[in-house]
Amino acid sequence: MASRTTVAMVVLAILTAGCGPRTEPRPSDSQASERASASSAVIPQDTAFKGTIAPVQRTRSLLPYAARPVLRAVRADRGGGPSPSYDRVVFEFTGDSVPGYRVQYTTGPVQRCGSGDRVSVAGTGRLLVRFEPAQAHDEQGNPTPSLAARHSAPGLTAVREITLICDFEGQVEWVLGVAAQAAYRVSELTGPARVVLDVSW
Amino acid sequence: MKPGLGPRAWGLGVFVVIALATSCRKSPVQPCPNTRLALIPPRPQALGPSPAFDSIFRSAGAEFHVPPALLASVGWVETRWQMLRGAEEFPGRPAAFGVMGLRGAALARGAALAGVTVDAARHDPVANIRAAAALLAAYAAEAGGDWNAATARYSEIDMPAGRGAYLAAVADAQSAPQPAPAPTIAAAACPPPDTTAGPDFPSSIWRPSPNFDQRATDSTGVPHMVIIHTCESNYPSCWSWLANPVSQVSAHYVVNEDGSEISQLVREPTRAWHIAALYDCALNRRHACWLDSVQSNHFTVGIEHAGFALQDSFPRGLLERSAALVCDITRDRAIPRDWQHIVGHGQLQPANRTDPGPNWPWIAYVHRVQALCGELVVDDSSQFNASSDARVVVPAGWQAADTTPDYYGGGYHWASTNPTATDGVEFSFYVAASGTRTLDARWTSGTNRSPQATYALITSAGDTVQIGPVDQRIGGGAWHALGTWMLPVGWNSVVLLRRGATGSVVVADGLRVR
Repeated sequence: MASRTTVAMVVLAILTAGCGPRTEPRPSDSQASERASASSAVIPQDTAFKGTIAPVQRTRSLLPYAARPVLRAVRADRGGGPSPSYDRVVFEFTGDSVPGYRVQYTTGPVQRCGSGDRVSVAGTGRLLVRFEPAQAHDEQGNPTPSLAARHSAPGLTAVREITLICDFEGQVEWVLGVAAQAAYRVSELTGPARVVLDVSW
Repeated sequence: MKPGLGPRAWGLGVFVVIALATSCRKSPVQPCPNTRLALIPPRPQALGPSPAFDSIFRSAGAEFHVPPALLASVGWVETRWQMLRGAEEFPGRPAAFGVMGLRGAALARGAALAGVTVDAARHDPVANIRAAAALLAAYAAEAGGDWNAATARYSEIDMPAGRGAYLAAVADAQSAPQPAPAPTIAAAACPPPDTTAGPDFPSSIWRPSPNFDQRATDSTGVPHMVIIHTCESNYPSCWSWLANPVSQVSAHYVVNEDGSEISQLVREPTRAWHIAALYDCALNRRHACWLDSVQSNHFTVGIEHAGFALQDSFPRGLLERSAALVCDITRDRAIPRDWQHIVGHGQLQPANRTDPGPNWPWIAYVHRVQALCGELVVDDSSQFNASSDARVVVPAGWQAADTTPDYYGGGYHWASTNPTATDGVEFSFYVAASGTRTLDARWTSGTNRSPQATYALITSAGDTVQIGPVDQRIGGGAWHALGTWMLPVGWNSVVLLRRGATGSVVVADGLRVR
């Protein structure tokens, strides 16, 4: 049993890493990797989307000079299988585990973290997603998520616009323009390490 | 009028730059930036944005199947690689934006094709270049793959002669024969390590970042504080990212781990992008409350340090070199050297920053900045003094306070005047080599201050000189010269006395020796 689980996990990892799927595994698809890793969170079932509009936070600290998780891809698509009911945004990191994160709606001004310049996004809800310690560039100063991924307007039902507003001093922060403030849920996946944000329609 | 219909030299420069950048792309850290600068023809702003947009031209070109060299050339012809913040040049003609000079309907179409908002295509260099690339690709497709036609259409120039000149300028960049390499770069794929001196701190390396803009022209735009940061990374990762236009962040300087190298990325007179917070004087001992709600980049100079806010200690070499840099900045900008003017990022932005962290040695660091600038300050509180060369004795009965802002250190002491009192606050300082010293005193403002405060200088040789009277009703919150004397080696002292007619107070805030 253990070996079958391992095989399943490896296959899944190869599939996800090698093919760069546009759609993340549905919660039911990811059972193997969840069971294989004690640290990954349990993904709620699609049929019972009980999200929240309150801040969701997980803290993580690293020793100085330990390698920081590097954000390498961001994908957005509709989620929920044959009868979709939410949009899913996936943040994929290098390394074995995701950084700390904090997700919350804001009603205040949204700013770029260095310049202080205001940033506006489509939609009436502004959802901030901050990762720390993390970076979205490599050690040679090149951006890791594609330039297109750092600012996109996916045109989904809930998630209208996704903008990277901070990649500075070990913090990576995004603002999601959401059609209207709606419940969300945050979960984690391993192989590769991902933070999954679902925003209800 | 479209810029860039001028000399062929521009096209040549573009070619050299692109060739260099391409040959050095595999360089692990430093893509040879400063030699590139030397090869670029003079620009309107000699220290403006660098060809650091190369990486965007490359990736946007790859994404939309547009030759990166064409993108770079069009960008150069349009804007000389400056980020335009559009203003309408001619009535009825939409304003141009960004590195690619996009405007009007073309900008909107390019933005839509690239999947970015119009606002982003205007103000974000990455979105701007991607929008232009998408637009050029669409024009080329509609012209049956004719890049000349696409480029001419991009120019939005109607007159055939104008289109021809535009095309010639762009085409030069791609078809010109490769020029003979300059002697300094002939031998190697990459030029030798860059040693171009920083324009404001000569012993730094000038690695210009495009991530800056202009400070406000009023008093809020005058550099007034130095902000201390940690990179949360190593040195090459730090400066290379801050010099990349994609990052949208910067600092004026980055100091490496052992202090052996400093990069200057942004000129001090311009506004780097290192602190997002609006200023709140409640976070800075109520200093300079007139700056409240001003964006802090306007009036600050930012220094990044390789390392982490969580580290246990900072290398001596890093602190020493950083202190020398701060001495230079504060001397050039007439910024006082104290803890209200040399401030941590986390102190002014506590909501989401902690750098440089709890182990930055603030007291010793500021003392070192002072010493390198030839001054020594004795505070009225021992915690702000280095006991090796500064001591204070406050008699019983003198009250500690921090009610009135703009004190030195963490507060000040005061006492009521009394005709028969003989006590005073004694500021002692060690003079290692005899010579002339100018002594400055400091107090805080208030209408009840004594108009006739008296000081006494007691030298290590036992000589006593009475100083004053000094009117403490005026000039609070700043240093005021008491005079200049020849001082012997050893511990010398200045005592602020409270003897005087009743009805006022004297304030002991600090003594500066220079």
